[in-house]
Amino acid sequence: MAQSPLDVHVLGFADIDYLETDRAGVDDGFFLGQLVGHAAAGLSERTTFFAEVSATARPDEYRIEVERLILRYDFNDALKVSAGRYHTPINYWNTAFHHGLWLQTTVSRPEMIRFGTRFQPVHFVGVQVEGAFPATPLGVGYAVGLGNGRSEDIARGGDPGDVNNHRAWLGQVYVRPPSLFGFQAGGGFYLDRISPEQEELLGLSSEVDERILSAHVAWLRESPEFIGEYAHVSHELRDDGEEHESDAFYAQLAYRLPGRADDWKPYVRYERLDTSTADPVYAPFDLEYEGTTAGVRFDFTSLAALKIEYRRERFETRDWFNSLYLQLSLAFGETGGEDAPIIPSTDHGP
Amino acid sequence: MRRTVALALVSFAVLGAPEARAQTRGAVAIVVNPSTAVDDLSLLELRNVFLGERQFWGDGSRIVLLVRAPVAYERDVVLNRIYRMDESQFRQYWIAKVFRAQVSSGPKIVYSNDMTRQLVAALPGAVGFIAAGDVAADMKVLRINGKLPGDPDYPLR
Repeated sequence: MAQSPLDVHVLGFADIDYLETDRAGVDDGFFLGQLVGHAAAGLSERTTFFAEVSATARPDEYRIEVERLILRYDFNDALKVSAGRYHTPINYWNTAFHHGLWLQTTVSRPEMIRFGTRFQPVHFVGVQVEGAFPATPLGVGYAVGLGNGRSEDIARGGDPGDVNNHRAWLGQVYVRPPSLFGFQAGGGFYLDRISPEQEELLGLSSEVDERILSAHVAWLRESPEFIGEYAHVSHELRDDGEEHESDAFYAQLAYRLPGRADDWKPYVRYERLDTSTADPVYAPFDLEYEGTTAGVRFDFTSLAALKIEYRRERFETRDWFNSLYLQLSLAFGETGGEDAPIIPSTDHGP
Repeated sequence: MRRTVALALVSFAVLGAPEARAQTRGAVAIVVNPSTAVDDLSLLELRNVFLGERQFWGDGSRIVLLVRAPVAYERDVVLNRIYRMDESQFRQYWIAKVFRAQVSSGPKIVYSNDMTRQLVAALPGAVGFIAAGDVAADMKVLRINGKLPGDPDYPLR
């Protein structure tokens, strides 16, 4: 939508959680999730600035992080050029819900795209060209990006620069047919050369070429709601050409109940993350995962929800853990539109 | 002058004939700024515009979306027929749309048909909706699926 200069719009998200678990080393009890602020500012009719900042409770402090910071120029629907820090647009969840837990049906993200995971790059710093062709029958859209890729700590994006002077490329294509509102399907790729910090520790003598292929399908009309994603990660050691393949997927199904029960939405999710045990990039981090989630979301107002969720999960094919999560999540700020400008009356008659 | 005559003819087609006026009862007209180079949209194309999926007109000008505040009959028709959402879904949709950086703001909210009339006339690229019976002679009304609000099978009523 068009805006006048210095037109700023603010949104916020927050969550308050409770956990009971039999997983060793994880504290039970109440905890604060994230307080997230989002601002969108129209700098001109075609130039927009977006920012997302989070505050996360840590044992000794609140950690403030700039999650997204994007300056974008819109030439038209088919061509929008931007620079900044993004959530890597090769997955669906990562760019559909960001840090707004109230937007997502479940308490937390799937493990394969969890914040802080090392399986895939969650953040991306660089430039992006994107666009869509909404008038076409399939509603095709795309994004192409060039950026720093992963940092030495591969859980982080390359915010202070590219650690190995080898840029990452990414691309995504999706369809969103106008006749099937709520449906989206697509795929993406990500190419980078990474220099993980465990290189010396593991006796790695070279950097690693990383290739990621992903696919997703989503139907978000709520009765039912379905999201499924798959990602394949290939790591090739530069010195001897040794290759390691890893895969991850999840499938989530939810259903908004009809009639007077429409504040309730039960859901289930199954997910797996199969990493190569010999992959020196993943080996230190116990990424192998299998989990089943079942829960119900209760929207007690249009901007706040209570989620009650049971999760059974295991890491590295070890023992199963059982956890019960409760989450209050909410959104606040400008919602559903903004007041139109007042046009001075031109009537001068009696 | 030619544009004024054309607009007057369109408005007559919408409102002028008594039988047409009877058929506009309950119809919601889609109105655009007179400089907008579009006359006819399919319901799917209109949905794309109101959902913010399409943000530019064919001539490259940015679409300025005007939506009536609750509670108004015209808003109910647009939510039911175009958005296919209830109030809470509509609100959640725009929160997500802005948060995903797909748009920089939600629709501009207007509080009366008169306000819609003024803004559509004043803002290049503006598109809004108004009770067909309140369409003024100088307003540009879009055909939807080739139909004007006075036509049988007009989809927005």
